[in-house]
Amino acid sequence: MSQASEREGLSAETGRAILDLAAEVGGVAMLAGRLLRRLAPPRLDGPELARNLHRMGVKSLPIVGVTALFTGGIMVIQAGVLIRRFGAEGLLGWGAGFATLREVGPILIALMFSGRVGANNTAELGTMTVTEQIAALETLAIDPLSYLILPRCIAMVVMLFMLTVYGDVLALAGSALMGQALLGVSVATFFNGFLETIRVWDLATGLIKSVLYGVIIALSSCHFGLTVTGGAPGVGRAVNTSVVASATGIFVTDYFSTYLLG
Amino acid sequence: MIEFRGIMKAFGPKQVLKGVDLSIPDGEVFFLIGSSGAGKSVLIKHLIGLLKPDAGQIILDGDDVSKLEGAALYRVRKVCAMVFQHATLFDSMTCAENVALPLRKHHNLSARDALAEAQKRLVQVQMGEFAEKYPGELGDGMRKRVAIARALTVDPRYVLFDEPTTSLDPVSARRVDKLIRHLSDTLGVTSIVVSHDLASIFSIADRIAMLYQGNLRMVGTPEEFRNSSDGVVSQFIHGRAEGPMEV
Repeated sequence: MSQASEREGLSAETGRAILDLAAEVGGVAMLAGRLLRRLAPPRLDGPELARNLHRMGVKSLPIVGVTALFTGGIMVIQAGVLIRRFGAEGLLGWGAGFATLREVGPILIALMFSGRVGANNTAELGTMTVTEQIAALETLAIDPLSYLILPRCIAMVVMLFMLTVYGDVLALAGSALMGQALLGVSVATFFNGFLETIRVWDLATGLIKSVLYGVIIALSSCHFGLTVTGGAPGVGRAVNTSVVASATGIFVTDYFSTYLLG
Repeated sequence: MIEFRGIMKAFGPKQVLKGVDLSIPDGEVFFLIGSSGAGKSVLIKHLIGLLKPDAGQIILDGDDVSKLEGAALYRVRKVCAMVFQHATLFDSMTCAENVALPLRKHHNLSARDALAEAQKRLVQVQMGEFAEKYPGELGDGMRKRVAIARALTVDPRYVLFDEPTTSLDPVSARRVDKLIRHLSDTLGVTSIVVSHDLASIFSIADRIAMLYQGNLRMVGTPEEFRNSSDGVVSQFIHGRAEGPMEV
């Protein structure tokens, strides 16, 4: 193959990839717009919202709890060398609290949530799409967006926010316990350092991020579930794409939100 | 009264419907037959707005369905229900919950009242004792009957059945046939049935239309079909492998 045709092939593939990306981003944006229209006035199925809040939130408590506890512990293990070298035990509460509340807590919990809830949501919606269950809802004169999608999106955003609060608390507890066990820093010293240095804004920054991550996971998992084609292999591809898109969206949003929120 | 006027529909380069004209009066059990891929399911999906025609009109009670969107289309779907080929019950719900959902949404019933009403509706299709079962626990014929009960919750005047007896054993198939005939005879429901099942066609159809290569080949009574001298029609209804029908 000549260099010119190789370049042409590369350009065509790049162009196709950019067009595909634009189509998916456009699809997500259109879904967001259609959902927003259903919020004014709210056209929401109450029982479906309650069911999703339970299965997405309550059932995620164990996995988020374990992740948060160990994350708190790992941060102390990593910081332990420096804390010992400089005798800065009083800074452990500040260091662990700052990193947990602003960054590590929201992002790790969002990634776990995306893997558990987002992937499950895409698989379920994808299966409903390929087996015509979504079309069946339409034929029963029930709007799938109001009945099925909006409750899921609201449940994901609300529950990720609440799980982040819960995870933050457990991560701090994990840090405090590991600080005492590994570095001999008492729990009281840990929380004194934490309360003296951490501002409400540090907590708010992490929680604002968790809402943004929740929106990304909700829209991405629903969009890829609703646009599945190609039967069971298509559902598998959609789950994969949804998880990758959510993770990418979370990291990109983290970068910009950290920059903007300070 | 349902009227298809010059319906054309293509998927990519494949022209599936090439200008179909068809009228279906109220109260009939009307069968739409033809070989696989002839466009039968495509045609009936136009009637409830799941597909839009490239050209033509679908007139239902005086309204052109092809022009309707949003809430107006949902009004049509309350008049014209559909039972899909694979029943398409919601897997995560029991049979009673499947039937209760449209009752709760359209009849302003509480969840408890909707479930009680769903139980009554399931009894009407001989599925009362399976109300608490999930679709995955039932056979194809049972799922079809639950799907019919669910479709009837919107109190439709027209019901579209997409291959209702495909994959059913003969006994289950005849039970479904009986139910379709019963809807027409007792409730005056107009049924449009897409089917390949010759036993169904000749036992319950009032009239039949055959689609072939994107056009209507013949419309008539079961008797007229039996006596047809058209080679294509004759080959199809007698199920012969050899003949003029193109694959």
